[in-house]
Amino acid sequence: MSRLERLPWRRIILIVLSLALLTLVIVGSVATLSKPAGQGGYSGKTWVGFIVDGIAQGAIIALIALGYTLVYGILRMINFAHGEVMMAGAFASFFFLDAYAASGFLNRHPITVLLIVTFVAVIVSMSVAVLLERIAYRPLRNAPRLVPLITAIGASLFLSNAFRGFFGPQARGYPKPDVLTGSFDIGGLDIPKVRVLVFVVAIVCMLSLQLFVARTKTGRSMRAVAQDREIASLMGIDVNRVIMITFAIGGLLAGVAGVLFAETFEQVRFDMGFRPGIAAFTAAVLGGIGSIGGAALGGFALGLLQSIGPALLLSGFGIPSPFSLKDAFTFLVLVLVLVFRPGGLLGTGEQEKV
Amino acid sequence: MGRLVRAGLAAGAVTIFLALVGLIERFKDLELVGSQITLSLLFLVLPPFVAGYVVGRPRVERGERREVTRNEALTWGAIAGAVSGALVGAATVFADAFGIDRIRAVFIQATSGLIEILTFGLTPVVGALVLVALSAVAGALGGGLHLLPARIRRPVVSAVTAVLLLGFLQRIVPVALAELNLADEWLYFHAGGLTWFGAAVVAAAAVGISILRDRQGSQIRARLSFGGNGSGREGMDLGRLIALAVIVALLLAIPQLLGTVISDVLGSVMVFILLGLGLNIVVGYAGLLDLGYVAFFAFGAYTTGILTGGNLNSFQGITKPVVSADLNFYLAIPVVVVLAALVGVLIGAPVLRLRGDYLALVTLGLGEMVTVLVASPWLTPLVGGPSGMRDVSDAAIGNISFRDPKSFYYLALAFVLLALFVSRRLYGSRIGRAWTAMREDEQTADAMGISTTSYKLLAFAMGGAIGSLGGALFAVKIGSLTPASFEVLVSIQVLGIVILGGLGSLPGVVVGALVLVGLPGVLREFEEYRLLAYGAALVAVMVLRPQGLVPNVRRSRELQEEEVAQDAWAAGSPDEEAPAVETAAT
Repeated sequence: MSRLERLPWRRIILIVLSLALLTLVIVGSVATLSKPAGQGGYSGKTWVGFIVDGIAQGAIIALIALGYTLVYGILRMINFAHGEVMMAGAFASFFFLDAYAASGFLNRHPITVLLIVTFVAVIVSMSVAVLLERIAYRPLRNAPRLVPLITAIGASLFLSNAFRGFFGPQARGYPKPDVLTGSFDIGGLDIPKVRVLVFVVAIVCMLSLQLFVARTKTGRSMRAVAQDREIASLMGIDVNRVIMITFAIGGLLAGVAGVLFAETFEQVRFDMGFRPGIAAFTAAVLGGIGSIGGAALGGFALGLLQSIGPALLLSGFGIPSPFSLKDAFTFLVLVLVLVFRPGGLLGTGEQEKV
Repeated sequence: MGRLVRAGLAAGAVTIFLALVGLIERFKDLELVGSQITLSLLFLVLPPFVAGYVVGRPRVERGERREVTRNEALTWGAIAGAVSGALVGAATVFADAFGIDRIRAVFIQATSGLIEILTFGLTPVVGALVLVALSAVAGALGGGLHLLPARIRRPVVSAVTAVLLLGFLQRIVPVALAELNLADEWLYFHAGGLTWFGAAVVAAAAVGISILRDRQGSQIRARLSFGGNGSGREGMDLGRLIALAVIVALLLAIPQLLGTVISDVLGSVMVFILLGLGLNIVVGYAGLLDLGYVAFFAFGAYTTGILTGGNLNSFQGITKPVVSADLNFYLAIPVVVVLAALVGVLIGAPVLRLRGDYLALVTLGLGEMVTVLVASPWLTPLVGGPSGMRDVSDAAIGNISFRDPKSFYYLALAFVLLALFVSRRLYGSRIGRAWTAMREDEQTADAMGISTTSYKLLAFAMGGAIGSLGGALFAVKIGSLTPASFEVLVSIQVLGIVILGGLGSLPGVVVGALVLVGLPGVLREFEEYRLLAYGAALVAVMVLRPQGLVPNVRRSRELQEEEVAQDAWAAGSPDEEAPAVETAAT
């Protein structure tokens, strides 16, 4: 009894909470798995489909998450508007893609067109990201930590509504070249071609980013700034420039992600950045924010959780249409990770500096 | 020179942005003064004016503060303005030559009507030249503002502000005047802005008041700094009592004076004031950034609905929720508030360990979960899912229903005054001071024997309770609830209100809600741009005026100290763009 009394009751709440959650997860999964296919259960093939979906979804999330992680690593701030940076790129590329599709050029030279369109998206996303840093974040670099977060939220709202003003509130159909329709048959599984493309591009991006940060001179100065901004500036590193480059790279990745995201869901809309932005942020935190590997891991983990989790955990309880709760699931994961393991899967738990 | 061009280009870019978003064309008929000065025109000249003002600011050169001379201020301002005008003019000419319809295929707001406004109905090239000239004048005026001594500048600024404000309020003030049987033809055009004569009278009045206030300024300021902390002073002198009586009388008279439409808008404003007051406790007092505040709003609204016998819209017609009671509204309210406080503690307990941005994101997640859950099929038997809930109590006393906007105003006013009172007393109390200490430095507060855990929980509980009041009122106001009213955006709107007004400042919450909810409610054309304005306000306030429009006294003192310390640090480091002007002044 005396031991119990010494535990702060917040800890007790946490322990009870985690036990309750664990029980729910186990009961839910067992219940779901014991149901026969067709009567609320799922067949083995459906499960594999979920997994493929989750990996493809995770690849995009991971790509966006890299932007959060890069900026957080260097500035210790959450660039809440990163999802809108992605939206900006996707929207800009839409107008070019649409024109190419209308003239028939898209299906004659799909690869060229996709490259051009991606280039456009990247340029726009990079400019938006750099402008954002210059206008909304740089003046606040030494402000208390919450202040840039608030401006970031404001910037996110501003960007999405500016695009709504420019281009209207309706969703626009994002054209898809014929090469990307249909699916590959891999080992008896139908895997949509877009998903394969997304996966390959995401992996390439992550590897090149890792190489860039680890091997190049700019990458080294980025790491130096991340460790200690003042000392880095004493060592002759132009901190403002490095931060700008960081935002530019984040924007570049967001541009690529924007095109892939739009190709996957075949539409663009002014608010398309918000939910994926939060999912990506969740992924970054899940993997351990600040590390590139963590963002990749977190992205895939979250993608899988999103596609398997609702079916596995919720169907067991007889909750109708579990996938409508997919987003709630994302947030639940975010909350649980931050509460139980704020350092993320790979991190060691960051201590607030006194 | 490069500086001037850069300022001009930025101003021009802002103008083009306003044009492409559609703001300029949208307000071409909103006449502020006469039929000449429309809001569109204001949007056109404001950016070059600001550019002129910025380039004319005193600067620090090699550590010395340098005032600009008269010629410099005027020419620099004019150049910056002209550059801005030239950019916009060039863009207009280009758009006209390229074919506005082709641009419109991408930017849907680029219409021939817009071109007509930007060229003043003249041919493109001539119009562009006029625009350059106009912008140059605006820029020169902006630069010239620095030349006036403060004694003259303040009355001028307040005169212009007053005229513009009354111009904006053209749908409120004439209605009130008509109700009072006062003639308003001399002041306002019918369904339009101020007359020139009216504008002159308003300006003269504003100048007079401003000069009077200047003269008494020092006395008032002394009194404010003495009584402004709100702690401890029980006695009220007669003057304050009279002022209070006048304010109360005015507040009570408003619905009778302004009619149903304005009362309705004010009702919404007050719902948001309640939400703002609640969030102000959590963010402004205790320093915990809560982005999931909509959870309490939704909780308050739906619980009120369930407890007062609300029904669900469903495929089988109208059904009762699985949990239901049929209480009187005034019996239900205490239950709702207590439950909301409990929910606040439940939400707060697991996230207490987190600080700053992580806390913000967890609460954002929780808030978003609430919105998803409310709409989900899972909770449909309780809250009605996407098709929602209806027949929420109208809080009637006897046979006075409070759904009618005019009577709702009084109900809301009572709640708001109660919440204001509670907030104010809390702030001055031991609890409020503990919150302040915790917000400023948690470790130190802990070391001084403040139980940060319980005070954080208390903040969440109090904030949740007041927020749920807002939800309950909202339920009474509209009578039926759907998930669309509880988007996560609500949290951000409330945050915008609190921050625009000034964190921790009670008058700030009221002003913030009036500006961000009331103004778009009155100017219906603005509705579409409301969120854009929220976003811009959040960024602009944080960058330019972190203490908000009506700063909290204690808080702004702290911010100033922080600034001084930062400036001292920045002065020594080469890579910082020091906030130059203020540094030199101190």
